[in-house]
Amino acid sequence: MQRKNTKWVMLGCLVVLGFVALPFLIEGYWVRVTTSILMYAIVTAALNIIAGFAGYAAFGNIVFFGIGAYTTAMLMLRVGFPWWGGVIVGGLLAAIYAILLGIPILRLRGHYFAIATLGINRATEQIALDWGSFTGGGKGITLPLPKMEIQQFYAMIYFIMFGLLLLTVLVNFMISRSRLGYALRAIRDNEDAAEASGIFPARCKITAWAISAFLTGLTGGVFAYWFSFIEPATVFDIMIAVKAFVMMMLGGAGTVLGPVLGAFLIELISETVWGKFLTLHMMILGVIMVAVVILIPKGMLDMFRRKFSLAGLWRNLKNQAV
Amino acid sequence: MAFIEGKTVSKAFGALRAVDQVDFHVESNEILGLIGPNGAGKTTLVNLITGVYPLTEGEITFKGERITGLRPARISHLGIARTFQIVKPFPGMTVRENVVIGALFGKNGAGRSTRVAFQEADRWIDYVHLHDHRYASVDQINISDRKRMDLAKALAMGPELLMLDEVMAGLNTKDIEEMMALVRRINEELKITLLVIEHVMKAVMSICHRVMVLHHGRKIADAPPGEIVKDDRVIEAYLGERYAKARRAS
Amino acid sequence: MFLQVLLNGLFLGAIYVNIAVGFSLAWGVMDVINVTHGTMIVIGAYVTFFLFKTVGLDPFLSIPASMAVLFCIGYISQKYLLNFVVKIGIFMSLVLTFGLDLVFINSVLFIFTGDYRSVTPAYSGTFFEVGKMTIPYVRLATLVICIVLTGLLQLFMTRTRTGQAIRATSQNRQAAEMIGVNVARIYSITLGISAALAGACGSLISIVQSFTPFEGGFFIMKAFIICVLGGLGNISGAVVGGLLLGIVETMGARALGTGFQEAISAIIMILVLIFLPKGIVGSKYK
Repeated sequence: MQRKNTKWVMLGCLVVLGFVALPFLIEGYWVRVTTSILMYAIVTAALNIIAGFAGYAAFGNIVFFGIGAYTTAMLMLRVGFPWWGGVIVGGLLAAIYAILLGIPILRLRGHYFAIATLGINRATEQIALDWGSFTGGGKGITLPLPKMEIQQFYAMIYFIMFGLLLLTVLVNFMISRSRLGYALRAIRDNEDAAEASGIFPARCKITAWAISAFLTGLTGGVFAYWFSFIEPATVFDIMIAVKAFVMMMLGGAGTVLGPVLGAFLIELISETVWGKFLTLHMMILGVIMVAVVILIPKGMLDMFRRKFSLAGLWRNLKNQAV
Repeated sequence: MAFIEGKTVSKAFGALRAVDQVDFHVESNEILGLIGPNGAGKTTLVNLITGVYPLTEGEITFKGERITGLRPARISHLGIARTFQIVKPFPGMTVRENVVIGALFGKNGAGRSTRVAFQEADRWIDYVHLHDHRYASVDQINISDRKRMDLAKALAMGPELLMLDEVMAGLNTKDIEEMMALVRRINEELKITLLVIEHVMKAVMSICHRVMVLHHGRKIADAPPGEIVKDDRVIEAYLGERYAKARRAS
Repeated sequence: MFLQVLLNGLFLGAIYVNIAVGFSLAWGVMDVINVTHGTMIVIGAYVTFFLFKTVGLDPFLSIPASMAVLFCIGYISQKYLLNFVVKIGIFMSLVLTFGLDLVFINSVLFIFTGDYRSVTPAYSGTFFEVGKMTIPYVRLATLVICIVLTGLLQLFMTRTRTGQAIRATSQNRQAAEMIGVNVARIYSITLGISAALAGACGSLISIVQSFTPFEGGFFIMKAFIICVLGGLGNISGAVVGGLLLGIVETMGARALGTGFQEAISAIIMILVLIFLPKGIVGSKYK
């Protein structure tokens, strides 16, 4: 058992080192591509906290990305905050948003909750669009440009994103082994029984959502700084949330590394193979989603653990069918 | 003052009074049997005690404190635990993880680390003789083991009052005997007060100190087991009016 | 003036009812939240558009065609995809249909491109007057057709064997199986009917507004709000909810302008979800 663990830890260190070395080994375009992949991984891993652990599928979790982005943009532009200040406040505001909305919304059951979060995202996006005087409306906000050489800037963003990813994975890991993690899984598996066992579901759910929102908000803030321009349609884009959801499911919801793996897999393929054909790309995402739900609802990690077999898959299908 | 008592406890679902003006009490260290035909309101009463349903009427006090209106999690922390008629496990977890939930969030769970909680869980898994299955996933074990797991989880919560809801339902004769012995041990060794909903009369008669009978939501009898079987109203409730009349006539 | 607004709200409400009834059918009977319902409406609109443009078929006459096409799409989707996730849980159906929606939207996009389309028969703008009110013929016809469709659905559910089988399965799937109902087939038929209703709705909508392949999201939001307002699986609930939403929205648009309309709709839905979990009319269709 000890030897197996050390092997994995060493592999992990190698991977981390590889990522740290990457910007120095490849050219600018691919650094940006990788940064984008890292960003998706963070959003997916953050989603995992509320959707994977707690089982509350926040389809609209992207709303926190948008809040983080807008907060950072406005603080930098209007108040002259440094970027990291804006990002942190963005994350905090997103967390507060989650807590306030979570109190009524987290009482709803699974699918209702999912759709309510969609409604929240739409409503928030609409507010950003309509409140032109404050948010710049449909024209968006242009942030102050960074005062450094462009390739250096992109490399810096890369490392920030990577750091955020490490942080998010670490948070996932810590939660999975903590009291909160067990409480969330109990809530996910059987909320009534969880309550009978002495768990206060509301507190746990709201905590999980706040953490998820904070991390997502931070990412949105960094995104705003990175692109120097944001508008409602981009930062509240429901497609990002849907993709994150598929990535999480593909990799394995509720696991620590699954969401990250799923994100990497889908985004890597997306960027390199289908980047050119947008229509086909979206359609294939849809097909993947359908396939994952029917064939491997528990995700890839679980599939590998159970020693994947075609016969087993067929058996599962027949059992699942009405 | 009784360990736990309820006065005029009632629960109405619309026009249906599932529990109707029931006064009950359980003394410390007692095993109270709760019996009655199906639909009599037994599980509803337990749900009222644990806070799953709000009371329509009445009061419940536990160790001298009002627990009416408290949330289920709060009531668990005061020292009340229960098992479920249809076992409600956490399907995504192993047996050991299911029990650890009780150890983490029960009465003595606050501030426990997961490591300590797992030790506690292991202790209770051994107590109910479930050691061999502790790493099994819930859907792999049979009903008798699932009931033990539910029991272990409840025990891991560190309760002073334990309520069992038809814990013997679906068990074969041998398992019933073992479960009966287990319940007695819980009461005598661990000094836990018990309220036992049961249909298996053999069990009720031999382990309960006292028996309360519900029918159509109302309490119709409350006496030691020996007297209960002779009580006319109880016989009528279970076997019908005509049988009771015929019996009285003979 | 007020009566005109009310009438307009009624016309809008009729369409909303039509959207919601089909959506609610799938949800109430099979616990399937069919996110593709909105895009199915759009597909119906495109079928009508296609027939209008190629053979000049009157849009109202194309309704049977769009209903047939959508019935097939719904039936096949249920039979080969959704029937595998119905047992896992309502949430999975949501995710699956989300993915399926992407496939549908992009297929339509590929065939018809993203340009705005609409169907404009010769009688498009005509109307007649009653007192101070203007009643467009198209709107009136739409209202009538919606009423007819809803009525037919109700008759179907209560007076035909299949309809009864559907209701039985909706109440208790296992019991229905035990008395010999082929649940898989019933489910497929149910989604087929739900889709057909969406198709008819799309045909009607194609005349009154322009559309793109992406219009579906808008309709789905409406459908969801109405079902939440009116209670699930409930034809009368969908009717009440649809009419109510139509009237409230029309009046709200008059008062506040169309900008905040979307936000208000979303907020209404959230508020209803929080405070009226059973909807205005009541619980599940029994």
